[in-house]
Amino acid sequence: MSAQAPSMSPVKLGLAVWWPAFWSGIPFKLTIALLFLAMGVPSWEMPGIAFLLLLSIPIDIWAMGVSARTVFLEQLRLNPPDSLGLTLWWQNAILSALYLPLAYFIEISVIAGAKAVTNRIMELGLMKALGVAERISINLVMWSSVSTVVLIILVLVYLWLFGRIVRRQAAGARAATESYQGLVRSWDLMRVPADQPLMLTVFTATGVLLVFGLWAFMPVTTPHPHESYQQSKGKQVPDLRPVDALKKTEKLLAQAETRVEALEAKAQEETKEKEKEKGKGKSKGTADPTKPKAEPAKAGEKPSPKQ
Amino acid sequence: MNGQPTALEAIVAFVDERVGLKQIQAKMLNEPVPGGSRWAYIFGSCLLFIFIMQAVTGVLLMFYYVPSADHAYASTQYILHEVDYGWFLLSYHFWGSSAMVMMVFAHMSQVFLWGAYKKPREMIWLVGLALFGIVMAFGFTGYLLPWDQRAYWATTVGVEIMDKTPVVGDFMARFLKGGPTPGQMTLSRFFVIHVMVLPAALMGLAGLHLFLFRKAGPAGPFRGTHAELKAKTDYFFPRQIWKDIVAMSAVFITVCSLAFIEPVVLLEEATPDPGEYHPEPEWYFLFLFQLLRLKIFSGEFGQFLGAIALPGAFMALLAALPFIDRSPERNIFKRPVALVGWLIVMISIVIFTVSAIINREFLD
Repeated sequence: MSAQAPSMSPVKLGLAVWWPAFWSGIPFKLTIALLFLAMGVPSWEMPGIAFLLLLSIPIDIWAMGVSARTVFLEQLRLNPPDSLGLTLWWQNAILSALYLPLAYFIEISVIAGAKAVTNRIMELGLMKALGVAERISINLVMWSSVSTVVLIILVLVYLWLFGRIVRRQAAGARAATESYQGLVRSWDLMRVPADQPLMLTVFTATGVLLVFGLWAFMPVTTPHPHESYQQSKGKQVPDLRPVDALKKTEKLLAQAETRVEALEAKAQEETKEKEKEKGKGKSKGTADPTKPKAEPAKAGEKPSPKQ
Repeated sequence: MNGQPTALEAIVAFVDERVGLKQIQAKMLNEPVPGGSRWAYIFGSCLLFIFIMQAVTGVLLMFYYVPSADHAYASTQYILHEVDYGWFLLSYHFWGSSAMVMMVFAHMSQVFLWGAYKKPREMIWLVGLALFGIVMAFGFTGYLLPWDQRAYWATTVGVEIMDKTPVVGDFMARFLKGGPTPGQMTLSRFFVIHVMVLPAALMGLAGLHLFLFRKAGPAGPFRGTHAELKAKTDYFFPRQIWKDIVAMSAVFITVCSLAFIEPVVLLEEATPDPGEYHPEPEWYFLFLFQLLRLKIFSGEFGQFLGAIALPGAFMALLAALPFIDRSPERNIFKRPVALVGWLIVMISIVIFTVSAIINREFLD
C-alpha cells in the first residue's frame, strides 16, 4: 500500500535530503582531493577534476542513500524503497546536467547586467563626488545584492525540482508501521555495524594508510621557491667518526715517529762518517810547503787546469 | 576461560584505584546532550583541535626560527627552502591561523543565534569573548615573525592604529614597539607574546570556559518542549564525539589542501622604506582597514572613531549582551532584532573585506 504524497513542501523535502547528502560526501572527496594535491594533480584542472568526479559517483550514491533513508524514516515515516540512493542519484544527475548550465548562464548574465547598470549609476555626478572607498562599497552592494537574490531564487528552484523527484519516490513507498521510537531504533541498528572493533580497526588502518600516503607523495622541498633565495650548493661534508679519526691520527703519528727516528739515525751515521773522514785527513799530514799555493781564480776568469 | 586481567587492564585498575580514572572518564564521556548530538555543536571542539595543531606546528617551527631582526627572515627562508617538509609546516601554520579565526566567528555566531549566551551562561559568553580577543592577538603577533615587507609594514600600521587609543594608546604602542620605531625590540616582544603569553592565557581561559560550560550544561536546541528534548537526549560519547572527529578531519584536510594550493611565499626582507609595497593587514582585519578609508573616518578624530571607538563600542555591546537581552526566548526566528543585527554585521564584514580586495587596484 503506497503512502500519500508527503505534506512537506518540495523545497523543504529537497533541502532535507540534499543538504546532509552534500556534507556527508565532503570528507571523502576532500581526502581524495588532498591526496591528488600531494601528488601534484590539482582537482580543478584536468585530469584531476575528471578523476575526482568519477570517484565521487559511488560516494554520492552512498551519501544520497543514507540521507534519503533517514528522511524517509524519521520525517516521512515511510519505508524507503530499495536502491533509493542510486535512483535519486541518477535522476538528480540528469536534473543537474540540464538545470545547472542554464542556471549558470542566467546568473552570469544577471551579474554582467547588474554590473553594467551599476557602473552607469556610478557615473552620475552625485556618485562621482564620493571617495574611492565609498564608490567601491556602493558599487559592490548594488550589483551583488541583485545577483544574490537571483542566485537564491535559482537555488530554490533547483531544490524544488529535486524535492519533486524525492516526492515521487515517497509516493511509491509503503508507510512504516512501527512507532517513532521503533523507527529510530531500527534506523540506528541499520547504521551501527555488527562488529564494531572491526570497524574501528578498518577506520584506524585507513587513517594510517592515508597519512603514510600523504607524506610519501608530498614534495620534500617547496614547490614555490623564492626567486632570490640561493640554495646552499656546498659540498656535503662527510660525517665525522671520532674513533676512526683518532686511529688515523695515531697511525700518522706512529709513521711520523718512525720516519723521525730513521732520519735521526741517518743523521747520526753521517756525523760519524764525517768525523771518521776528518780523523783520516789529519793523520795523512798537512800540505807540501815547496809547492806554490794555487791562487784562487778571479771572478770571470777560468781557473788554470793545473789547479 | 582465562579470568586473569591483561596487562593493560591491570594498569588501568592500578591508576583507577588511585585517581578514580573510570569516574573521570564517565563524567567526561557520558555528558548528556539534550535534544541529541548536532553538527552545530562541533565548532568548539574544532577550535581546540586547531589550537593543538598550531601548537604542534609552532613548536616544530621554533626548532629553526631565530627571533632576531638579523636572522628572522633568513631563518624563515631556511625553513621554507632547506628543512624537509618545512614549507608544508609553515604553510599549515599560516592557514591554520586563518582557520582558527573563521572557526571563532562560526562558534560565536552559533552561540549567538541559539541564544546560548543567556542566563545561566553569561560567564561562559564573557570568557568566550576574552578567548576571541586572544585568537585575534595570536594572528596579530604571529604575522610579524617572518620579518618580510608584508609582516613589518602590516604590524607598523596596526600598532600606529593602536596609538590612537586615548590615554593608554601611546603607552601601548611604545610597549609593543619597544622603542620609537619597530625593530629588534618589537620582534622580541611579539615573539614572547606569541609563543608564551598568549598560549598560557588561552589554555587557562579555555579550561575555565570548558569548566563553566560543563557546570551550566549544553543549552540544547531552541525548539521543542523539555520532555521532547529529554526524549532525544544523546551522550557525548559516541555520537557527539563522532561528529567532532569528522569535523576535525574535514578541517585538517582543508588546511592541508590550502597549504598545498597556496604555500607561504615571503616578500622581500623588511626595510625601513616600504617602497612600492602597500601595507595591508591579514584578511580578517581587512574589513576594518577598508572602513578606515571612508571619508567619514578621515582625520585624527575620524581615525580614532573608526579604529578604536567603534570596534570598542561593539565589543562592549557584545560583553553586555547577556545583561541587556534578558528575555528567555532563544528561538532566533522569534528574535528579529538579533537575527537582523547578526545579518547586518556579517554582510558588512563580507562587503568591506571584498571592497578592500577591489581597492588594491586603485592604490597606485
